[in-house]
This record gives sequence, structure tokens and C-alpha cells, in this order.
Amino acid sequence: MTKYLFFKGCTIPAKLPNVEKLALDILPEIGIELQEEEQFSCCPDPVQLEGANHYFWLAVAARNLAIAEEKGMDIMTLCNGCLNTLAVTNAKLQKSAELKAAVNNVLKEIGKEYKGTVKVKHLMQVIKEDIGYENLKSKVKKPLHGLKVASHPGCHLLMPDEVLKYDDPTDPQEYDKFVSALGATAVDYITKVDCCGVALNLVGDKEANNKCIANKLLDIKNHTGAHILSTGCPFCFTQFDMGQIMASRDYPELKDSKIPVIYAVELLGLAMGKSLDEIGYKTHRIKPEIKVWEVM
Amino acid sequence: MEIIKIKYSKDNIIKQSEEVQRCFKCSACSIFCPVTLNVSRYTLEDAFISQLYGAEESKTLKDVWMCCNCEKCIMSCPQDGEPAEVFTNLKQLSYQRGLAPDSVYALAKQVLNTGIAYETGAKVNADRKKMGLKELSANENVSKELRIIAERTAFKTEVA
Repeated sequence: MTKYLFFKGCTIPAKLPNVEKLALDILPEIGIELQEEEQFSCCPDPVQLEGANHYFWLAVAARNLAIAEEKGMDIMTLCNGCLNTLAVTNAKLQKSAELKAAVNNVLKEIGKEYKGTVKVKHLMQVIKEDIGYENLKSKVKKPLHGLKVASHPGCHLLMPDEVLKYDDPTDPQEYDKFVSALGATAVDYITKVDCCGVALNLVGDKEANNKCIANKLLDIKNHTGAHILSTGCPFCFTQFDMGQIMASRDYPELKDSKIPVIYAVELLGLAMGKSLDEIGYKTHRIKPEIKVWEVM
Repeated sequence: MEIIKIKYSKDNIIKQSEEVQRCFKCSACSIFCPVTLNVSRYTLEDAFISQLYGAEESKTLKDVWMCCNCEKCIMSCPQDGEPAEVFTNLKQLSYQRGLAPDSVYALAKQVLNTGIAYETGAKVNADRKKMGLKELSANENVSKELRIIAERTAFKTEVA
């Protein structure tokens, strides 16, 4: 059993609580024990708050890292944004003694110190590095045979690759290995590394946001035969789930056969024998007739 | 390797950036850029990144928030430029001048007041309760510490 301090972040507890619940329930079954922590704050996010004030962003992230250091535990998260903020901050502060001193000068005001002694991993990295795909495969209770999955690892799990060291950002394969270990078939597609475009949504450019979402979904629909899209990022999830409804107003061809979006933990849940109800499929915006699941 | 430089004359902030001067508008950065690919006023010939490098300051500081920080540009720049890093710095200036979207100032307030990025309404907690999860609520100790950090890093939620 490998043990981690669970960094839930904000989006999963507030928007996708079923994913949080499922992670707590099923990750121990594949050998990942999670310890909850009440003193963590927002990571903060690497798109808006990193831009708003870089030092605030660094110091708040370092505060979260310092909490894990006090417990002597590495951090695991289910969110690409949290991973990116915490792992990049960790790398920046480990690299620069000057920056580390400046941040610690701030943290001492709240009685904390960043030392640089813990690691930060996304669930997908824990599965790759600690659990192993062969081992994962041996724990699967209901292999997802016949299910074709278009994976979308998401930009913030891939870049900066010299820090995250998860996969080749130009031709990612690791998420597909996870999909295969669960018994499903990973399909390749040309827009796999395209960004979900979340900032287009944040600034309210509906036309561009719909185009961005439709580009990927139509590529998957027209060229892969995939039954679902799967991702391990709550922002990408929301873009392709909720965003699919918005995008289908500008791209009516999306209405014909909607593509369900299944979170990494949910896909794992299905392979561990949970039903669609149990993984929280009801809470999704895109939940077409479950014809696709009949293949399993 | 010798770095080829071109001058971007309009924008004073941009002119000072060493990173920006490396850009020779080859558009390699924009082949995967979600902004260039999806926002109609940008094209590969006249991409988001090079347009912002050459735009008037006020336009640059307003549009920079479309950047998703996905780092596709860093991945593909043949000059080892780091547009996403440049944009993160520009966002900071934009924020200080009050040119960021309202949602960014609202997010900053929310995080400083509660420690988390979303309102913790009754609906969320009803769903969480049904699932047997703990209630999501503001943590006064956490937000107090965050406000001290904000003070020490001169992070404000409003523009004076």
C-alpha cells in the first residue's frame, strides 16, 4: 500500500464530489491509501491566479507544500491544475535558493517553512510510477472489454515535461496504457494534445470556446469510433461535458451522437465493478442512452 | 546558437522583454495554440502570440487572459522563447491596472475570504451530504493565513 496526503483542490469537491467520493472508496483497492487534510487551501490555479500575482501564487502553493512536509507525506491530487501549481512551485523553489528564501520570508509570518522535501503527483503518475500498469491490470474486477476510449490527458499533466516527467507532450501514450490496463481499447486521434481551451470560457468568448470544444469532439466522433472521451482534469472534464451542450448549439452535428466524458477515477471505478450509478454518471451533463456500455 | 531578434516597437512593456525579442514570427508556437486556432480574428499568418507582441499596450493587457497557459508555445518555439511565461508576467501587470476580467478579481476575493475558489452553497453541500462527504465550508484559519500572505506579497483584490 502506497500512502499519500490527498490534495483535493477546489473544483473536485465543489463541482465533481462524486469523483472525490469514488477516489476515497476505490483507490485503496488498487493499493493507494489517502489521508485527508483540512488545512490545505486552493492550490492556487495556474491560469488566473498565477497571472494575478506570481509571488502570492508561489507563497500559497509553498504553504500547501509546507503542510505536507510537516506531516512527512507526499501529495497526490486528482486535478491537473493543482498538480501543475504544486509541482512547478516545488521545482522553482528547489532550483532557486533566492526564491526559496523570499517565499520563506513570507511563510514565517504564518509560522511555516518550505523545505523542499515532498513530492507531488497526479493520480495518473502514481498509477504509472508506484502501482504499475501490469499490477493495475491484475486488480481489475470487470475489464472494460470492447469499450473504445479517446484519452485527453490535458496540457497541465504534460507540460512542463522537464518538471512533471509524466509523458511525451507531443505524443502522449501513458494515459492510453492506463486505459488498456483496465481492459478498454485506447484510440489514437490527431487532436489528442489539443488544449481544452478553458481560458476561452473564462474570458467569455463563447464562439471560440464552442469551436475549440467541437474541434476535438468532432475529430473523435468522425475518425475514431470511440465510445467515450476520458480525462483526469476537472477543467477539461467540464469543458467537454457541460461545454458539449453549449458547443452543440453552434455545431448541430454534435447533437446526433453525444460523446460521454468519463473521469479517470470513474473509468477505474467501472473497471473495479462499480455501476454507472455508483460512479455518479447521473451527475454528468452528457449522459446519452447507454448503448455504448452494452459493448462491455 | 545565435538568436535572431526583431524589434516590436509599439508596446513598451513588450519591448523590454528579452524573450519577446527572440520572436521572428514563424508561427510555430501557434500551430497548437488554442487561441489562434479558435478565435476568429487570429490566423496562423497573424497569430495570437505575435499580434499581442506587436499590439498597443491596452489591447495586449486585455487579451492576454485568453492564454490558457497550456505551454504548447513553449513546446514548439524554435528560438527557445517562452511566450506562456511572458504572458504570465503580462497578466500580472494587467491585473494591477484593473484590466483583468471581473471574474479574476472575484476569484481572488473568494480565495482570500474562504481559502477555496468556489462558493460553498447549500446545493453543493446537500450533494456532498448525500454521498457521505464532509461539508465544504470556509476555513477561517486557512483564509486568515492567506490574507497574511496576500499582505506580504502586495496582492490586492481590488484596484485602487
